[in-house]
Amino acid sequence: MADNSGKFTFEFDGQTVEARAGDTVASALYRAGRRIFTRSFKYHRPRGLLCMAGKCPNCLVNVDGAPNVRGCMTPARAGMQVRHQNAYPSLDNDWLSSVQHFDWLMPVGWYYKAMTHAWSWHAAEPYIRKVAGLGVAPEPGGGSKDYEHEWRNAEVAVIGGGPAGLQAALDLARGGAQVTLVDDQPELGGHLRYRKHSGAVLPQVIAQLRALQGVEIISQAYCFGLYEGNLLGVLQANPHPGAVERLIHLRAKRVVVATGAYEVPFAFENNDLPGIMLSTAVQRLIHLHGIKPGNRAAIVADGNQGDEVADDLRESGVSLVATMAPDDVISATGSAHVSAIRSKNGDFACDLVVICGPRVPDSGLLHQAGAKIAWDEERGAFLPLDLPVNVSAVGEVTGASLEPFSGPEIAHHKRSFVCFCNDVSTADLRGAIHEGFDHIETLKRYTTLTMGPCQGRMCQLSGIGVCARETGRQMGETGVTTARPPNPSVTLGALAGPRHHPTRLTPMHYAHVESGAVWMDMGEWKRPRYYTSGSCTSETQCVGEEYRAVRERAGLIDVSTLGKLDIKGRDAGKLLDKVYTNRFSDLKAGRVRYSVLCDEAGIILDDGTISRLAEDHYFITTTTGNLDFVQQWLEWWLVGTGWDVHITNLTGGRAAVNLAGPKAREVLATLTSCDLTSKAFPYMACREAQVAEVPALLLRIGFVGETGWEIHFPAEYGEHLWKRLLEAGQSAGIRPFGVEAQRLLRLEKRHVIVGVDTDALSGPYEAGMAWVAKLDKPDFIGRNALSRLAEAAPQQKLIGFIMSADAVPQDGAAILANGALAGRVTSVRYSPSQGKAVGLAWVAAASAGDGAEIEIRVNGGTARARIVPDAFYDPAGERLRM
Amino acid sequence: MSFVIPCPHCGNRSVYEFRFGGEVKQRPRPDASSAEWMEYTYTKVNESGVQKEWWYHRSGCRQWLQALRNTTTNEVMEAFFPE
Repeated sequence: MADNSGKFTFEFDGQTVEARAGDTVASALYRAGRRIFTRSFKYHRPRGLLCMAGKCPNCLVNVDGAPNVRGCMTPARAGMQVRHQNAYPSLDNDWLSSVQHFDWLMPVGWYYKAMTHAWSWHAAEPYIRKVAGLGVAPEPGGGSKDYEHEWRNAEVAVIGGGPAGLQAALDLARGGAQVTLVDDQPELGGHLRYRKHSGAVLPQVIAQLRALQGVEIISQAYCFGLYEGNLLGVLQANPHPGAVERLIHLRAKRVVVATGAYEVPFAFENNDLPGIMLSTAVQRLIHLHGIKPGNRAAIVADGNQGDEVADDLRESGVSLVATMAPDDVISATGSAHVSAIRSKNGDFACDLVVICGPRVPDSGLLHQAGAKIAWDEERGAFLPLDLPVNVSAVGEVTGASLEPFSGPEIAHHKRSFVCFCNDVSTADLRGAIHEGFDHIETLKRYTTLTMGPCQGRMCQLSGIGVCARETGRQMGETGVTTARPPNPSVTLGALAGPRHHPTRLTPMHYAHVESGAVWMDMGEWKRPRYYTSGSCTSETQCVGEEYRAVRERAGLIDVSTLGKLDIKGRDAGKLLDKVYTNRFSDLKAGRVRYSVLCDEAGIILDDGTISRLAEDHYFITTTTGNLDFVQQWLEWWLVGTGWDVHITNLTGGRAAVNLAGPKAREVLATLTSCDLTSKAFPYMACREAQVAEVPALLLRIGFVGETGWEIHFPAEYGEHLWKRLLEAGQSAGIRPFGVEAQRLLRLEKRHVIVGVDTDALSGPYEAGMAWVAKLDKPDFIGRNALSRLAEAAPQQKLIGFIMSADAVPQDGAAILANGALAGRVTSVRYSPSQGKAVGLAWVAAASAGDGAEIEIRVNGGTARARIVPDAFYDPAGERLRM
Repeated sequence: MSFVIPCPHCGNRSVYEFRFGGEVKQRPRPDASSAEWMEYTYTKVNESGVQKEWWYHRSGCRQWLQALRNTTTNEVMEAFFPE
């Protein structure tokens, strides 16, 4: 689409638009004759180019699906799809523009007054959202391009590539500093690029800078925040063809702010009509894009800038119809575009009104960083003072070379706009001040002045002017509103960063895929929820079959996601005794013990089994999600003790399966020479042995309540051993089972899952695990709290319940006692062995007696249940010892 | 919060690489009074000024370290491995 003359095309609302090299979206559209670029937020008034510097809301468009893109800052690219926003059916003919005739119904703050009932806002909100607003958020997952994040460090960061920034960067680099220069334009030079008196200095300075070592230039990147520790948020557009934007976290030892000053408009009647433009925008159109901005121009100017822009206009062939002082302006006229300007000296027909407005130091970054912003009467500007350590400012942002500006007497008119983002007029501000919102911060919140996409850049100065004049205060007394990042606005996608979600797969993952696993996420891990192999079709059916396999024959579950820690050293037992509530120093080698881990307040943090492999060697399992925490917790308590303990995380290096069921022994025996009889290998014992020629650690434990072994072995044999076990169990009727069946199986045994059945208030006594706290140990983490709790009556208890009828409540259901809320269900499932739903619940101690009746919310009603003291299935624990 | 911690092992690193571990406190003896234990478990000094804190360098050397930080300015004076 790009030909050799440097011309190319893109689409705007389905129409082909021709663009030239160096064009932005806005300049190409303007050259093609477009004058209305947006419709205003509230009244749908036509709006055209105003600042051409990315500082106003007037050219926000949708580019390739991304809303609220600043057209004047976005380089035009061949084939890009640009669409208008907030107008229906089109920008030139917006039916919603009739809204402005009802402005008397909608003064500032009208929704606070009109919406007197909660329902009225709920009823009105969808319509208001449709009519008012900016772009539409893209669909989730839309767009083929990605956002990136980058971290950089700099000795000195210079923000702004105008004359002051360039000079500062040059001086610093010559002094030997490593300098990173951030500039938001495609080329360096700032205002010298479009002001013709720049002379030949610019190319020289840029060439010198580029030639220096240690200078890094980031172009087309704007700095939206200066945070603590000189961390700069920098957003770079189109860093490479594969990325939309790159968010650079730039940390600098020193920051030099050279953001310059920008021109702002002033208020008069109809000052928002397309064709009324800031003088610097006109200069940009002429000098950066070679566009003749209009045919007949009127200039409103107070100083030298008027003469400068008059020369520019004459050279580009625009005829000047009038030049007037801001004081003389009365109003502009026109419907979709300015057609005349009325002054005290008469009316002038024109198609372009050039506003030479006051220049405002772009001190937002300095203000964010903690600088004071104080009014300078001499320069007629708010200037930054008391800069923080290691932050400095150079150039116009400090107020240097600013000319004082005397604006027009403010006429309070409902079409005399101060805020272009949210359609706030001088009349609105006066009304709000007279209602009592006379402080600049309350005025801001009530009228939304400075709260639009331009973040107050266009309206702050004139808004303060109105407030000062109406309240009889000085500008300095009135003050500025607080500056907060981001300024300007930042794409949410850029903050969110790349679409990169790490996923962990177990070593047997692809074997599960072959078995038709239906997945669930557990932290970063993927785990089979259940398997669809065999004859089952629904989840209930499949889980039922898996359940029966474990209870009647044999089942195999992948538990590789368990956290696995190897604890070695002379003092390993001492550490475990100190950190876990149970006792481990007296555990015999070859034995396994369960424990919980508590904090000093006696709250359960995690649980797991601990196996003693040798005198100085233990093996811990943690819950899947708590591995990092437990490892850090153990290491923390180790710091400074001088104890001989080494902790190694084996989680990724070991696969693990649990083989369980009445036929588990017969299946496992075919693959190992290890004596599996209960006499040689009893419940809660561990052995190291070869299983299918793989070196493995076998733990005889029973989470699901049947005879079973948890087998830990090197991850590289994960698929091999998984398949060998399934083959070996084929004749016994083995089945792989998933997390859902496991949860049901363990629930029948009343085994608790930490984090599901316990929360940040649960201790071992309330959870019915008093036996796990060995208070006769001289010291362990949580002992003091637990010894007090052991004697106190708990307020709540974790109880097991069985439903009296067929109803199955949901996890989290409320529990009632005598009609009052008395607790909540943490886990509940239909139990095939009991023929009723069984579950665990927290119940107020007074209602938690054994055998007591409780009521549980089910399907909007209630159903009765009975509290059961023991496990629902095999309460004596005989099956897992068989 | 976006300050830099001079990790004694890895050098100057962004605070985002670390996990905060709370104020450094002296754990009471096992036979200390309940009041002392309650104080240790539930009360934080929350010094307005320089305090000694635990930090864990999770995206770096994975070591626990202590740092002296001014809580009003977030300046980290020193970071070290505790004895």
